[in-house]
Amino acid sequence: MITSVPSVVAVVLVAIATLAIGTWGLRLSRTTSDFFVASRSVRPALNASAIGGEYLSAASFLGVAGLVLVFGADMLWYPVGWTAGYLVLLVLVAAPLRRSGAYTLPDFAEARLASAKVRTTCTLMVVAIGWLYLVPQFQGAGITLESATGAPPWLGAVVVATVVLVNVLSGGMRSITFVQAFQYWLKLTALLVPAIVLVGVWLGDGRPSPDGATNDHWSLPLADGGGQGLYLTWSLIIATFLGTMGLPHVVVRFYTNPDGRAARRTTVVVLALLGAFYLLPPIYAELGRVYGERADANVLVLDLPRLMLPGTSGEMLSALVTAGAFAAFLSTSSGLSVAVAGVLTQDVFRGPRFTGVRAFRAAAVIAVVVPCVAAVAAPDLGIAKAVGLAFAVAASTFCPLLVLGIWWRGLTDVGAIAGLGTGFISSGLGVAYSLSPFTTSGWFDVLLSQPAAWSVPLAFTTMYAVSRATASRVPSHVRRFMVRLHTPEAVALDRG
Amino acid sequence: MSVHQRSQHPIYQELHDSPDFSELRRRYRSFVVPWTVAFLVWYLLYVCMSNWAGGFMNTKLVGHVNVALVFGLLQFLSTFMIAWLYARHMNRNVDPLARDLEARYEAALRGDAVKGEEPRA
Repeated sequence: MITSVPSVVAVVLVAIATLAIGTWGLRLSRTTSDFFVASRSVRPALNASAIGGEYLSAASFLGVAGLVLVFGADMLWYPVGWTAGYLVLLVLVAAPLRRSGAYTLPDFAEARLASAKVRTTCTLMVVAIGWLYLVPQFQGAGITLESATGAPPWLGAVVVATVVLVNVLSGGMRSITFVQAFQYWLKLTALLVPAIVLVGVWLGDGRPSPDGATNDHWSLPLADGGGQGLYLTWSLIIATFLGTMGLPHVVVRFYTNPDGRAARRTTVVVLALLGAFYLLPPIYAELGRVYGERADANVLVLDLPRLMLPGTSGEMLSALVTAGAFAAFLSTSSGLSVAVAGVLTQDVFRGPRFTGVRAFRAAAVIAVVVPCVAAVAAPDLGIAKAVGLAFAVAASTFCPLLVLGIWWRGLTDVGAIAGLGTGFISSGLGVAYSLSPFTTSGWFDVLLSQPAAWSVPLAFTTMYAVSRATASRVPSHVRRFMVRLHTPEAVALDRG
Repeated sequence: MSVHQRSQHPIYQELHDSPDFSELRRRYRSFVVPWTVAFLVWYLLYVCMSNWAGGFMNTKLVGHVNVALVFGLLQFLSTFMIAWLYARHMNRNVDPLARDLEARYEAALRGDAVKGEEPRA
């Protein structure tokens, strides 16, 4: 147990800064539309920082370095996939989705297929994916606070959940945009500055290298060879490339751009920001191999400065990294909570008792409290692994719906529900298997722990085949809708 | 006027059938299809090389930096490059055509407004 005063101060400062910026944003947001999509008036540079801030979660901040430390260069596929997923999103779905005029994924599904049932199915899935992604964020907060102060793990989860809830309740998306832009730069600084200092320490120590015998193995992806390693890598690539488009908090960000040109510029900046950030965790992992034998891989990034620099300077750097980690939990959880609360508002909290902002607030409480309780109760899977599963579920459900819905006229409501259900159940098996105490080995274990490589094709095939079989149900407005989706933004067709 | 009512406007069908709209779709596809293929081949190449060409990937370039690491960094760079090329292609080749279509759409709606059938909201 380490009790670090600077780390506690850092956590408190990040929480206060987050709330302060959120409140400042509040004065700018007034209507329900503001709450959801920041009035579509966010400039590309600010928006790109916000996207970067929201996207770089606990998994990127803590998880990648730990995974690379333990499993070696294979794990660089996580950051590569998370970056490339953004490109796939930009090129294949971002623009048509924006043009559809829908605020959320369920809105899109309903507009495209004219079916309330598809809408309900999508709502359930947005909530499921959002919660699956929120749980590891809260757990990450728990272990971070535990590592810094020795507090019990539930405390970190509750702190993050509370700050997120207060912020979401007070400002919605607009204030979240400012908060997240701030948090991207905080996260980058919090990893970059200690990395520079620690590399300096390493150079000063005469550049010791880790145990040479295992080094070649560690620095080489897929060094184990064999079909299972190849399958796992493939599956991870499919989940990350195709899952990004199905993450509710990512898609909603594209609506905050004023037009298509701005959306593209935003994405280019986002990719540069993500690339710059992802260079850093491998540096921590490499240094961890030299200095961090005693470190817990999950919190390597937090402990490394302390292990390499005993005394005040190490404590200060650890505090900075802890601040960055908290920024990561807060920003990703805020974005996810807004997205989940958004769909709950529209589809669950309806009726005379719930109107406008009040419904949104009721939904926000549910959106945050449920995963917070789950985070305390559920076993800790490791942050990056749990987030990887959320990507697998998103890739197996919303990816087929978006790709076929945007690019293929033949999609029907029955086909969409069949495909969504199949993808959800098959990737959900993987989640259930990972959470359950039941373990197995060999191919069965490999196929279940990384389901995307078979569940995504299965969902696509089901959606296609069932739509074909129910071709008479193709909605009558499909041609008009396709014109709307595919006419570039310069054309101000009615987009709602 | 609601979204749905305006979506009924015959201009949608005309736009859909116009050669400019086909050209717009073609220009979009001319970028997306080849680049998607190139991008997938490039990522696959990394996986395949890692699995079957371990010796080459482990070649040391500078100090501990091996080919595999440089390859990994290039994956980030290529992702960024493709996004930048895409933005440039859309701005140069697709948006101008889209503005022409917009002008026609606006004109069609104005025409209707004069006839008093479907005033703009």
